[in-house]
Amino acid sequence: MSELALFLVRIGFVAVLWIFVLSLLSVIRADLYGRRVISKLAKQSAPQLAKAASGSDLPIDDSDSFEPTMIQMLTGRSAGSKIDLGNKREIMIGRAASSDLVISDEFASNMHAKLVLVGEEWVLQDLNSTNGTFLDGKKVTTPVTMTAGATIRIGTTTFDLR
Amino acid sequence: MSNLSLTSAIPNLIKAVPRSRNFEAMLIFWVSGIHAFALAQIQLSVLQVMTWDMLLYWAPPTLAAMIVHWVLRRYAIKADGLMLPLAFLLNGLGIAMIYRLDLAELANGGNDLFAMRQVWLSCFAMLIAAIVIRVIPDHLTLRRFPFVAGLAAVVLLLLPAAPVIGRTVNGATLWVGTGELSFQPGEIAKILLAIFFAGYLVSRQGSLAEIGSRVLGVRVPRAKDLGPILLFWLASLGVLVVQRDLGTSILYFGLFLVMIYTATGRGFYVAAGLVMMVTGALVASRFFGYVESRFDSWLDPFNSANYNAAGGSYQLVQGLFGMANGDVIGTGLGGGFPQLIPLAESDFIFAALGEELGLAGVFVILSIYLLLVYRGLRIANSHPDDFSKLLALGLAFVIGLQVFVVAGGVMGLLPLTGLTTPFLAAGGSSLLANWSIIALLLIISDSSLRSNR
Repeated sequence: MSELALFLVRIGFVAVLWIFVLSLLSVIRADLYGRRVISKLAKQSAPQLAKAASGSDLPIDDSDSFEPTMIQMLTGRSAGSKIDLGNKREIMIGRAASSDLVISDEFASNMHAKLVLVGEEWVLQDLNSTNGTFLDGKKVTTPVTMTAGATIRIGTTTFDLR
Repeated sequence: MSNLSLTSAIPNLIKAVPRSRNFEAMLIFWVSGIHAFALAQIQLSVLQVMTWDMLLYWAPPTLAAMIVHWVLRRYAIKADGLMLPLAFLLNGLGIAMIYRLDLAELANGGNDLFAMRQVWLSCFAMLIAAIVIRVIPDHLTLRRFPFVAGLAAVVLLLLPAAPVIGRTVNGATLWVGTGELSFQPGEIAKILLAIFFAGYLVSRQGSLAEIGSRVLGVRVPRAKDLGPILLFWLASLGVLVVQRDLGTSILYFGLFLVMIYTATGRGFYVAAGLVMMVTGALVASRFFGYVESRFDSWLDPFNSANYNAAGGSYQLVQGLFGMANGDVIGTGLGGGFPQLIPLAESDFIFAALGEELGLAGVFVILSIYLLLVYRGLRIANSHPDDFSKLLALGLAFVIGLQVFVVAGGVMGLLPLTGLTTPFLAAGGSSLLANWSIIALLLIISDSSLRSNR
């Protein structure tokens, strides 16, 4: 084989390796910057803002149509992460690995609390936990309906539905 | 009506085979092409002709990788799609380089060959990985036996020091074996240790992070909680003394520090651990001859006293010369003289690849490792369960730290150690352990995506 051909093969091999690695970077890009999601919120809020600006006295109903799609962890070990509610109708919360929402908190019981979809509303129920479940600072003794912006606290972990 | 149900079924059909599996199949195809390219290039430049021999080195690993892919499709369909092709690519590059060294050995009239062995050991390791994926449906069962795993790790670590079966090679007591067969139990011990640490730390992380008395503004944990770290430091020094291997003790102690830091989020452990490690290393370098000579070779490799000493810096310097000969784009596979480096097929395979693929090739190999470790960390980051997080992190870190210590050693940045280059170096125990790590990471990533849906 001629010198030139060998040289081309030699460059070619390293180039193929590089192309392989660089093409994987395109997959990883989606990890780092996230897939593009058309924001439902942005679409909806635009007409509402327009209405508010025009002085319309139509009330913006937020408590009646609270349809959360995910759980946002606010503080605690997994602060910042989001859990998709998906099509679930019941979310078990606790330290047990089998829970839908695993809370690694010293003060959480294995089966601490649960969120149940009743009709169209999410209801929070404490499962007789040792250290209690708190909704907006109040201890949950009987099942309570979740409202927008209400924060649940278990031990040092807090999260809300949005 | 039937029309409607047909069209609405299409999204479900697409969902049934996730993109990552099809993507993985495509990547395996690609990697197997790169592997064939490497072998062809080697034959052309060393033998001047292409022979059918190539198939013996190409087909078995490709088949084994396809089997692992098929098992993933059956039993862990949501597992990460990049890890298998990346590990397979490194494995293939290793086989190609070892084959190239074999050709040089044959040309010199020797018959100390490794490539065929490496091919079958790779296949064996990949099949074991497939079996691990099939047999362990849920890695959380591992959480139940942290102390069994810990005890097994200690027994495996001490095994080479046992009479009759224990073996000492090049001054390090790391092997057990009878006759032709030999095995490094320490390679398996690192997986068991990661399982033990993850299980232990998950149950103790609260008390390790929160409880303790303040001394000079720093919260020092209780002696009861600090005990294990001291115990473990002593144990890794014990490995250094008994087995005479610097790399293994750095690996185990590093793994422990990273996992305890991740579990507690407290810098104190890292600071205390690093101080203890450096102190230990300095003391060891004063009192143990073999550590001292390693340090001398590292600090002053070109000194003729070190260069000529038995077990001195000769190997390191040959590797450095080789990499210098490789320059930026390398001599091309089959174009250099990697056979001049002692142990080029195992400990110094990184230098051999550096010579033939050049700086550009070394960077690409390091990027492959980076991607592999990155995927591992991503699996750890996205898993909802703490035990799985810690285990995935520990396993990914084991691969990362090994690459760092080996590459640093070969380049003269760190003292030379006996650690193996994951997937590249010749050796069955290392292949088996690293493929098992990949299998566990794949299981963890599969369970992570299942539990999120």
